[in-house]
Amino acid sequence: MSAPCDLGLVEAADAVAKRELTSAALLESCLARIDAVNPKLNAVIWQDREAAREAAAAADAALARGAKPGKLAGIPLAHKDMYYQAGHPCTCGSAIRRDFVPDYTCTVVERLAAAGAYSFAGLNMAEFAQNPTGHNRAFGHCHNPWGLERITGGSSSGSGAMVAAGGTFASLGSDTGGSIRLPAAACGVTGIKPTQSRVSRYGVMPLSFSLDNVGPLARSARDCARVLGVIAGHDPRDPTSAANPVPDYEAGLDGDLRGQRIGVPTNVLVPGAAPSVLAAFEAALEVLAARGAIIVRLALPLMDAVAAYGGILSRVEGGAIHAKWMRERAQDYSVHLSGRLYPGYGIPAVYYIESLSRRGAVLKAFAAEVFGQVDLIATPTIPTVLPTLAETDIDAAEAAGDPAETVARFLAVSVNTRPFNYLGLPTASAPCGLDANGLPVGLQLAGRPFAEARVLKVADAYQRDTDWHRRRPTALQ
Amino acid sequence: MPFPEETEAMIATWHGIKAPNRAGSVMAADLAATIRAFEAVRDHMAFEEEPASFVAALQETREQEIGE
Repeated sequence: MSAPCDLGLVEAADAVAKRELTSAALLESCLARIDAVNPKLNAVIWQDREAAREAAAAADAALARGAKPGKLAGIPLAHKDMYYQAGHPCTCGSAIRRDFVPDYTCTVVERLAAAGAYSFAGLNMAEFAQNPTGHNRAFGHCHNPWGLERITGGSSSGSGAMVAAGGTFASLGSDTGGSIRLPAAACGVTGIKPTQSRVSRYGVMPLSFSLDNVGPLARSARDCARVLGVIAGHDPRDPTSAANPVPDYEAGLDGDLRGQRIGVPTNVLVPGAAPSVLAAFEAALEVLAARGAIIVRLALPLMDAVAAYGGILSRVEGGAIHAKWMRERAQDYSVHLSGRLYPGYGIPAVYYIESLSRRGAVLKAFAAEVFGQVDLIATPTIPTVLPTLAETDIDAAEAAGDPAETVARFLAVSVNTRPFNYLGLPTASAPCGLDANGLPVGLQLAGRPFAEARVLKVADAYQRDTDWHRRRPTALQ
Repeated sequence: MPFPEETEAMIATWHGIKAPNRAGSVMAADLAATIRAFEAVRDHMAFEEEPASFVAALQETREQEIGE
């Protein structure tokens, strides 16, 4: 018999709202699961169990008094440790911010709280959200619950691992080049990077202002829809957030894929994928087609420009944010992070401005050509079999004297996710099989701007006919 | 001066930052590939003169709500 922490977020929230389960029971189940698995996963940086138990008791008392339950009533949540919460640590996964305690709370955590949820832990992550693997020198590497020697994907490493393991019902991640989708794919959970500007970033550690996004990882598309519906929408404290109305994402999950046109790239992102990854991906397309989707093979335009310009933005903006520390405390960064930040200082400002300036034109040209033919784009989230921590450990390779090959393997992890950040498109990853080594494979789905409802609808429809999102991690059994 | 050394000298001059490790030098040397990639797409599209063009493009290309 499964524990309460194994329920999906929507099931758990609805059970609490109906008073079939208490928030306290959910919390204790999550804490027990963390106690059982965290020695293997190293996914938790800090916990505040006392405050969480007080919040659970308050939620249960309010419901007992007849208070109207919010959409996340009584749900305990643990987030990537880069969301500012007044009075709580926020390490950003780094030695440099090990003792940082913000004095204000980010908008997204406030919105989750307004819906009835409460936070109880900060989760491990790539240092300053700057790697696609989950390596972390300051707090130790996070381990994949499907294979402890494998990467979790990054940068939301603890979020992917702990959602998969049952330690939290969902987790806020962040995505600048794949940091929600990569750990979702690698750990066998579901995650969505929303449209650029869809979710407020106020009170969230920045990595690259132009490309950063906030979004959820959870166990299903329906769970992601519930969380995204709570956190999306304009925030006056983040003037870059969009004023577009927020649809009822859950209401759109009807399983009907008739006529949905799914585009499969013929020139990039799919060709060259590992055979076991490709087999899982093609099998997923057959499931979608069986529900009425129309699979369209097409070439994606402008991908060279997307790659060239997008890489400029992330490196320059990341470099600018970290410039003072790179001058004064470079030794306090891991090798892979200081090494990755360093080239940003060698890129001319004119390249940066051109990359920003062309972004709108590239998006319009891409959308006109692609979304005239299809409604969504589908690719594998990670095109390779999932590498080991050792194979992608730049710090260890540096110590051994030759990091070049390791750098290449490290950067290859996010090759399929990065383009959608420059384009600003909503993009999800849902589990769709296992690779040749028994590690999860992700199905990546991208739509036009503000098409989160469609992306989640297709992912949910896929999950109605498959059970990959319900399978439990093998390394913890 | 070879490209890697030239790049590292420029970074030191403009930013006061030295290569933190060999991995950093490897990645900085790879800026040669960045230049090639940029050259390959250079001047294929007009420079956008209007401000906030990407924000406008997000709205212009967005998913339309039913009845919109």
